[in-house]
Amino acid sequence: MRQALRTASFQLLPGLAILAGLFLLPLSYFFVVSFWQVRTFRLRPDATLEQYARVFTEYGSTLAWTLAIATLIATVTAAIAFAYAHYCRFRAGRFGDGLIFLSLVTLFGGYLAKIYMWKTILGGTGALNSALMALGLTSGPIPALLFSPFAVIVTLTHYCLPLAILPVYGALRGLDDTAIEAARDLGASGPRIFRDLILAQARGGLTAAFALTLVITAADYVTPLMVGGPSSNMIGLFIQSQFGNRLNSPLGSAMAFVTIACCGLIVLTLSLTLRALTRPRT
Amino acid sequence: MRSMAHIGAALTAIFMLSPLVILVIFCFSESPLLAFPIEGWSLRWFDKAFSDPQFTNAFRNSMIVTGAVGVTSTLTGTLAALALAKLPPRLATATAAALSLPVMVPPLLLGVALLTFYSTWIGLPLGLPAVILSHLVFTQPLVMLMISARMASFDHAAVEAARDLGASPIQSFFHVTLPMIGPSITGGTLIAMALSLDDFLVTFFTIGGGMTLPTLMWGMLRKGIDPSVNVVAVTIMGLSIAATLIGFRLTRYRG
Repeated sequence: MRQALRTASFQLLPGLAILAGLFLLPLSYFFVVSFWQVRTFRLRPDATLEQYARVFTEYGSTLAWTLAIATLIATVTAAIAFAYAHYCRFRAGRFGDGLIFLSLVTLFGGYLAKIYMWKTILGGTGALNSALMALGLTSGPIPALLFSPFAVIVTLTHYCLPLAILPVYGALRGLDDTAIEAARDLGASGPRIFRDLILAQARGGLTAAFALTLVITAADYVTPLMVGGPSSNMIGLFIQSQFGNRLNSPLGSAMAFVTIACCGLIVLTLSLTLRALTRPRT
Repeated sequence: MRSMAHIGAALTAIFMLSPLVILVIFCFSESPLLAFPIEGWSLRWFDKAFSDPQFTNAFRNSMIVTGAVGVTSTLTGTLAALALAKLPPRLATATAAALSLPVMVPPLLLGVALLTFYSTWIGLPLGLPAVILSHLVFTQPLVMLMISARMASFDHAAVEAARDLGASPIQSFFHVTLPMIGPSITGGTLIAMALSLDDFLVTFFTIGGGMTLPTLMWGMLRKGIDPSVNVVAVTIMGLSIAATLIGFRLTRYRG
């Protein structure tokens, strides 16, 4: 036993070294930097909360807007993912595996390529406007499709959906058919089965899908830059620019950590709500 | 009610798939305008992209990064998965969770944190080596998780039998353990490589002046309309989807 543990710790060494040296250490350092300052274009150690104050005063409304749109996208994505996974697990029969496979194919289809394709699909001469005009639903192209919050929502929902389907489907697959039949035989109604069995089983997967989408969405800047237009500035754009032309890494760091902390709070709220909703009752 | 569910699922599938299909169609379109209907078909954008020295350079860089990341994360991820199987269950769960932490951090945060760490603390010059190190952070957990999933249904009695019959630990690893988890290792490697190949955000902040396929694509998108960008996009998409598909096939991963 001791021998096995010694081998195991040797085998863990490279992996833990990568985790410590290229993740924990850089992230801790980056966190410390958020209390520093940039003066005369040089990064100077300090212990100030000035950057955090600036996040809330100068970027407060951008942060709130980002969190609102990210929460909306995460909710929509988790809902669609649940509906799709539920269909694949319970309704699709032998096509279920194929439909899940299809979502897996689109999982790695290229981050930039997806954003760029939505830009062309939603554009003035794009596929969606052409289709709408061909069907006679509109007489001219709808300009509001692109460069709007709507475009950001569609694009990021599309990007995150395959990622969100996986954990929900994984959770639903763990639910045994006999448990549902037993509940039905004992006289449970459809809604009751849905809430007490299916939703309770999917809770962990749903929370994971929501959290993943929320975090990716709240910290994205390529999507708002490419399809968002001036009204949909998101915090990621400002984080990114602190490391480009504005050169203020302490401020960028503070923004990033405040955003992540807010996402954590939102996920915690959701997880507690879901737990209360699906609590077993007697 | 029932038909509603069918329609909903079909629409979701179309929603997921259509941008990828439209991209492939545009690649073969004669016209430089990205609009329907398609008036003629041609391979001119492939010619244009493949003869561009920037593309060949970015392609080579992408292959270097992806290859190095694939090999290294496979080694460290496999070792970690083997170790997890030996640890007491609670410790194993905690270690796996710790090693998987990087997956939960958004790539933008990882990118800017590593940029700050490399350039203002340890003085590591930006470039391909920095990109490779950075990619290990988020590819290693994937390899580990995929092999761990296989190890969970692993028959330890076979290894013990080999050991009882006098095989050394190294012999039993190469003759018993490796053949059993081999497909999962290859699968995990391919999926790690797909992730590395497609990464834009972390690469963008740690590469300095050079280019990989995604950062080349980004530059083309920023500059304006050059339809050969479709070909760059399709190259990234094709390679990463092919790697993923073979990977999932080998690991028999199902949801």
